[in-house]
Amino acid sequence: MKVGKNRPIKFRILELFLDGEGHWNYEIVSKIQEEYNMKSAYGRDSINFDIIELASGGMLKDVEQKVDEKGIYKKDFLLHKYVITDFGKVRGSDACIRYV
Amino acid sequence: MDLKALKAQESKRKISKGYMWALFCAVFWGIWYLPGTVVWVLNPFDEMYSAIAETGGDGTALIITAVLITAFNALTVMLALMLWNGVLGKYKELSRTLKEFHPCSKWFFLASIFGGPMAILGSFIAMGFIGGAFAAVAALLYPVVGSILAYYWYGEKISKRAAIGIGVIIVGGITIFGGGLLTELSSGNVQWIGYLGGLMAAAGWGIEGAIAGKGLDISEPDVGLTLRFLGENIIWWIIIVPILAIVGYPMYSFALQAFEPFTMLVLIFAGITFGFCYVCWYKSFPLIGVGRGQGIGNLYGLFAIIFIFLFFGDVPQWTILVGGTLCVIGSFVMFTEETSALETLRGE
Repeated sequence: MKVGKNRPIKFRILELFLDGEGHWNYEIVSKIQEEYNMKSAYGRDSINFDIIELASGGMLKDVEQKVDEKGIYKKDFLLHKYVITDFGKVRGSDACIRYV
Repeated sequence: MDLKALKAQESKRKISKGYMWALFCAVFWGIWYLPGTVVWVLNPFDEMYSAIAETGGDGTALIITAVLITAFNALTVMLALMLWNGVLGKYKELSRTLKEFHPCSKWFFLASIFGGPMAILGSFIAMGFIGGAFAAVAALLYPVVGSILAYYWYGEKISKRAAIGIGVIIVGGITIFGGGLLTELSSGNVQWIGYLGGLMAAAGWGIEGAIAGKGLDISEPDVGLTLRFLGENIIWWIIIVPILAIVGYPMYSFALQAFEPFTMLVLIFAGITFGFCYVCWYKSFPLIGVGRGQGIGNLYGLFAIIFIFLFFGDVPQWTILVGGTLCVIGSFVMFTEETSALETLRGE
C-alpha cells in the first residue's frame, strides 16, 4: 500500500526516495505540490524546506547541484539532487512501510 | 552566475538565516523569564499561594501554585502555536501528523511528560523560590543530560571535545548551584525545593530533547511542537489539575480568576515568547546544524540575566554570572565540533 497523500509530507518525501534513485528537488516538490494540492509559491518553498530539513537530519544526501538557467524551478537558483542515506532508509521504513 | 558562486551564495544565505533564527530563539527564551517571574506576584497566583500556605505550608503552596502557572503557560503556548500554524496553513499537516501515533505523536506525548511536569514546572519552581536568573542559568546544564542519554540510548559517542565541553558546563553548574547553596547554608535557610526545580529544568529539557528528536526529524517542526504542547495541555488540564482539585486544592476557583486582563496579558506574553523560542530553535537546525543552533540558543541564559537586570534592576550573585558564562562557553565547545561539515550534520 502506498503512503499516499493522507500521511505527513515528510513521510511521502522519504517514500519517494526509498526507490534508492537520485531525485532532483524540483521533481519531488512538483509531485508533492500536485498530490497535496499546494500549488502556491509558498507551498513550493515550504516543501523544499522539508527536503532541506530531511537532508540536514542525515536522511537525504545532496549529491549534485546545477544552476536553474531555464527557470524550471526558480530561475538562477541552485537545483539540488538528493539520494536517500542508510539512516534515511531506516527512518523512512519505520515510518512508511509498516502497511506493506 | 556560475555554479561555484551560486553555491557560495546559497550557503551564505542559509547560514545567516540560521544564525538569525537561533538568535531569535535565544532572545525569546531569555525574555520568557520576565513574565515567568512577574506572574508569581500577580492575582490570583499570589493569593493562591497565601491561601494554600496557611494550611499546607510554604513548600506545598509553591508547588501547587507552580502547577497552575505551568498549566496556563502550556495553554497560552498552545494558543500561540495554533495561531502560527494557522498563518502557515498547516492545520491539515497537523491532523495528518497527529494520526501517526506510532512514528510521531507517541514521541511528542512522551517528550511532553519530561518537558512539562519536569522541565517547565521545575523552571517555575526555581523562579518562584530563588529567582529568574538562577532558573535560567541552572537549565543551561541540559546539554550534559542530553548527551549522556544519547550515549546510553543510541550509543552516540562522546568525542573528546564534547567531553571537555561537558566538563566546563559541569564546573559552571557547580558554581551556580554551589554559590547560592553556600550563602544559604551560612544563613541556615536553604531553599532546597528551588534548587531541585533548577535540576528538574536541566534534566527535563535534556530528556525531552532526546525523545522529541525521534518524532521531529520525520515531521514538520511547527506541527510537531504543537503536538508536543497538546500533550502537555492534556497532562495538566485533563490529568493533574483535576486530580489536585479532587484532593481538595482550590484549583478551579483560582484558575477562573486568572482571566483578568493584566494576568492574562502576562500569561499570553509568556506563551508567545516560549512558543516562538521553540519554533525559532527548530528553524535554525537545518540551516546551521543542531550543534550551532543549540550553542547560540544557549545564549538565552545571558539574555535572561540582561533582561532581568533591565526590567527588574536585579543584579544576580557573581556565582550565577561566572557559572552562566562557563555554561555558555562549554556549550559552544560541545556544539561546534564539526566546523568543516555544514552540509551533512549527521553521519551517513
